[in-house]
Amino acid sequence: MTYRQQQRIKRICWVISLSIVAIPFVFPFLWMVSSGFKSANEIFGQPSLLPDVWRWRNFVEVFEYQPFARQYFNSIYIALVVTGLTLIVSSLAGYALARIRFAGSVLLVVFLLSALMVPEEVTIIPNFFLIRWLGLTDTHVPLILLPVFGPQGVVATFLMRQYFMALPKDLEDAGELDGLSRIGIWWRIALPLSRPALAAVAIITFLHSWNLFLEPLVFLSSLEKFTLPLALGNFTDPYGMPLWHLQLAATSLAVVPVIIVYVIAQRQIVESFAMTGVKG
Amino acid sequence: MKPSTVNDPRRTERAPGLSLKMRGMLTAWLFVSPTVAGFMVFFLGPLIAVVFYSATEWNMLSQTSTFVGWANYQDALTRNPDFWHVMRNSVVFALGLVPMNIALALALAMSLYRPFRGVVVFRTIFFAPVVTSAVAWAIVWKFLLQGEAGAVNQILATVGIDGPNWLREPNWAMFAVIVTRVIKMVGLNMILYIAALQAIPRDFSEAARLEGATNWQIFRMVIWPNLAPATLIIVVITMIGSFKVFDHIYLMTGGGPENGTLVLAFYIYQQAFEFFNVGYASALAIIMFFIVLALTLVQILLRRRGSL
Amino acid sequence: MAGLTLNNVTKKFGAVSVIKGVDLEVNDGDFVVFVGPSGCGKSTLLRVISGLEDVSGGEIRIGDRLVNDVQAARRGVAMVFQSYALYPHLTVEQNMGFGLKVRKVKPADIKTRVREAAATLKLEDFLERYPRELSGGQRQRVAIGRAIVSDPAIFLFDEPLSNLDAELRVHMRAEIAALHQRLGNTMIYVTHDQIEAMTLADRIVILRDGQIEQVGSPRELYSHPKNVFVAQFIGSPKMNVVEAASLSAVSEIGGDLAGVVSVGMRPEHLTVTQPTDGLFRGRVSLSEYTGAGSLLHVEVPGSGTFLVLQNGPEAAETGAEIGLSIEPENVHRFDANGLRIPSSNSLKGET
Repeated sequence: MTYRQQQRIKRICWVISLSIVAIPFVFPFLWMVSSGFKSANEIFGQPSLLPDVWRWRNFVEVFEYQPFARQYFNSIYIALVVTGLTLIVSSLAGYALARIRFAGSVLLVVFLLSALMVPEEVTIIPNFFLIRWLGLTDTHVPLILLPVFGPQGVVATFLMRQYFMALPKDLEDAGELDGLSRIGIWWRIALPLSRPALAAVAIITFLHSWNLFLEPLVFLSSLEKFTLPLALGNFTDPYGMPLWHLQLAATSLAVVPVIIVYVIAQRQIVESFAMTGVKG
Repeated sequence: MKPSTVNDPRRTERAPGLSLKMRGMLTAWLFVSPTVAGFMVFFLGPLIAVVFYSATEWNMLSQTSTFVGWANYQDALTRNPDFWHVMRNSVVFALGLVPMNIALALALAMSLYRPFRGVVVFRTIFFAPVVTSAVAWAIVWKFLLQGEAGAVNQILATVGIDGPNWLREPNWAMFAVIVTRVIKMVGLNMILYIAALQAIPRDFSEAARLEGATNWQIFRMVIWPNLAPATLIIVVITMIGSFKVFDHIYLMTGGGPENGTLVLAFYIYQQAFEFFNVGYASALAIIMFFIVLALTLVQILLRRRGSL
Repeated sequence: MAGLTLNNVTKKFGAVSVIKGVDLEVNDGDFVVFVGPSGCGKSTLLRVISGLEDVSGGEIRIGDRLVNDVQAARRGVAMVFQSYALYPHLTVEQNMGFGLKVRKVKPADIKTRVREAAATLKLEDFLERYPRELSGGQRQRVAIGRAIVSDPAIFLFDEPLSNLDAELRVHMRAEIAALHQRLGNTMIYVTHDQIEAMTLADRIVILRDGQIEQVGSPRELYSHPKNVFVAQFIGSPKMNVVEAASLSAVSEIGGDLAGVVSVGMRPEHLTVTQPTDGLFRGRVSLSEYTGAGSLLHVEVPGSGTFLVLQNGPEAAETGAEIGLSIEPENVHRFDANGLRIPSSNSLKGET
C-alpha cells in the first residue's frame, strides 16, 4: 500500500467514526419529525424511522388541542420585540461606554459585569413580586423587559462596546465635524459600520427569547398567553400523561423552522455564539 | 459667492450655555440611561430585595411575613435534609457533566478545526442542538428514553442489551440527564475550542513535527499547554452553566424520581413557586449566588496568576 | 474666511498637561504648519482648535468669535485626517456631500458643490465609487474634497500625507500648496516632517512638550533659530552643535565669545579643505555617497562627530584626514541656556 492509499483509508475511517458520534446529535431530530407523523398507537409499536401511515391530521389536531397558532405568534412577536429593544438599548449603552469619557463609566462597567455573575434564578423571586405589584403577571411585558435588561442584555451591551471600541475613531470625528450630534454619529456612522456585531446580537437575543422557559413558566397562566416552550409540554391527556404524537408534532413545528434557518445561516450563527462565548 | 452654511451667523448665536465637556457627559448619560434604569429596577433592586426576603419567614399564600434573621440559612444548612441532598445532586451533575463535556468538545474540536471535505457538515451537526430549545430537546429525549417502549431501549434490545427504565431509576435518571445535556451543549464548547486551536500558530506543531514528535506528543507538549487559558474559561463557564440548569431537568424528569435529579436551580423554583416558601427560597438563591460568585472569582484569580 | 487667535490655551487629560499655555496669532489666509517631535502636542492642539477636544483653559477665537464652547461642527473648520476617515459605507459623492446633507442643504445645491469640488480635484470619474475602490492618493483627494465642499473658514490638516508613499507625498504636497494658492483660506497643517513644513508653510510653529519654541517663516527659522532645539530640528541633516571650548579655532569663527557656551554649524555650510588649510581638522570615519554629493561623518578630536555635506562628485574617502572651514556668518552661537546670541558684527538684522 502506498502512503497515499494509507492516508485515504485513515481519512475514511475518521469520517466513519465521526459519523457514529454524530448519531445522538441527529437521531433525536429525525425521530421527532417522523414520530410527529405517527398515530398514537404506532408510536409505541416497533420502532421505525418512517411511519407506516403518514398521519397529517396530527398537525391539525395540534392547533385544535390548544391555541397553538396564537402561542406560536406570541413567541415570534415577543422574540422580535426583545431583539429590537435589545439592539437599541445595548448599542446605545455600548456606544457610550466605548466612546464617551464620562463620570461613572468605570463604575457602570463594574456593575454591569457583576450582573453577568448573577443567575436569573436568583432575581426571579423578587422580580415576580415586582411584576405582580405592577399588575403585569400573565402579560408578555415581563418576558420582554427581563431579557432586555437582564444578563442577556448585558452580554449584548459588552459585545457592542467591544465592537465600537475597535472602530476607527477618525470616522466619528469626521462625523462630528460634518455636524452630526452624538445620536447622529451613533445612528449614521457607528451602527452602519457595526453590522456584524448587530447581527450577532440579534441572533443570540432572538434565540434566547425564543427558547426562554423559566420566565414564561413563572409569569404566565392563561393558555392563549403561552409561548412555544411552555406550550410544548402541555399536550397531555386528562391524567397528565403526554400525548406523544401531538407533542412531537408540535415540537417539530417549533424546531424545524429554526433548524432550517440555522442550516442556511450556519456560519453566521455559529460565529455569533463564538463572539459572546469568548467574552464569558 | 457660495451659500455659506458653516458661517451662518444665526448658528453662532446659538452658542449654548453648556460647556462642551458637560454636554458630552449629559449625552453619555442619556445613552446609558435605559440600561441603568433597567439595571436598577430589574437587577439591583431585586438583588437587594432577595437579601431581605431571605431573612424573613414569608408565605405567599397567607401573605404573612416575619423577620427570622438567619433561620432560613440555618434551616438549609443544618436542619433540612433535602438541602444537602440537592447540593449532592448539583455537585454530581456538575462533576459528571463538566469533564464529559470538555473531553468531548476537545475531541470534536481536534477533529474539526482543520478544513477537510465535509467539515462544515459535521460542525453544523454537532452545533445544531445548541440552537434548539432546551424544552424541545428534553421532550424528545424523554420520549426516546421511556422504559420498554422507548426507541433507545428498543434499539439496544436488537443488539441484546436490556436497557434500564432510564428516567424512573434515580441513578440512571441522573446519568441520562447529564448525557443528554452534554449532547445539547457540547457544540458551544467545541466552537470555542476550534477558535482557540485555530489561534495557535501553525509553526509550533510543524516545528515539533520536524523534530520527530508523534501526534500524541505534539498534543501533550504543544497544543494542550496553548489551550490552557481557553480551557480554564470553558471549564468555568460550563460549571456555572451546569449549576443553572433548570428547564432541561424540569421537563425530562421533573426532579424525580425520588428527587434523584433535583438540583439547586430546580429546588429554588420549587420552594418559591410550588411551595411558596419565599423566605427559604430566597436564602437558597443567595447561596446559589455565592457559589456562582466563588466560581467566577476562582476564574479571575487563576487568569491573573502567571502564564494564564 | 477668518484668522485664528489662541490665548494661553491649555489642555489637560486628567492630571497630565499636554498643552501648556499656547499663544498664537494666525492671520487670515496664512498657511501655518505645526511641527515638532512626536508627543509634542501638535495634534492635540489641532484637535482643540477643531473642537473635537474641549479646551481646558485659555481662549480660542476664530475671526472675532470666541469658540471655546462652540461645537466642532459650528466653528467653521474642516479637517483632513491622517487616515482620511472616509465613510466606508458611502460613495465618494455621498462622502463629500455628507456634511451638507446633515446641515439640511438642498440636494440640488449639494450636487453642484460636490461636482465643483470634484472638478477642482479631478475626481469626477470616481464619484460613484466606494472608498475601498480607490488608491491612497485618490482617497486623500476625496478627503480634501470633503473639506472643500463644507466651505470652511479654516482648513485643518492632521498629518495628511504620512500614509502615502514617498513619490505620491511630493505630488500631493504640491497639490495642497496649489489649493492654498487658489482658495486663499487659512490653513493649519500638522506634520512631524520638517521638509513638508519648510516647503508648505507661510509660517512654521515649532512645538515641544506642549509649548511653542518659535514661530516664524521657514527662512527665519533656518537662519535665525531661537535656540538649540529649533536649530537642530529645522534643516536636514541636522545642525552640528558642539561646546565652544572644545574647538581651538572657535575664536576665529565665532567673533565675540562673551557668554557663548556652544556653537552650531550646518552640514551644508561646512566646506572640505586640505588638512592644513581648514579652521579645524578631523578624520572621515564614514563617507556616504548620495549621488548629488556625499555626507561625511568626520571625527574631530575633542568635539565628537561632525556631519558635513560635500557637494559634487568628488568625495573624501573613509579614513582620510581633512580640514573643515566655514564662513563666520554661518556660525550660530548659543548661551548656557541654549538660547541664540545675536552676532554683533553681523550686518543682517535680527528679526
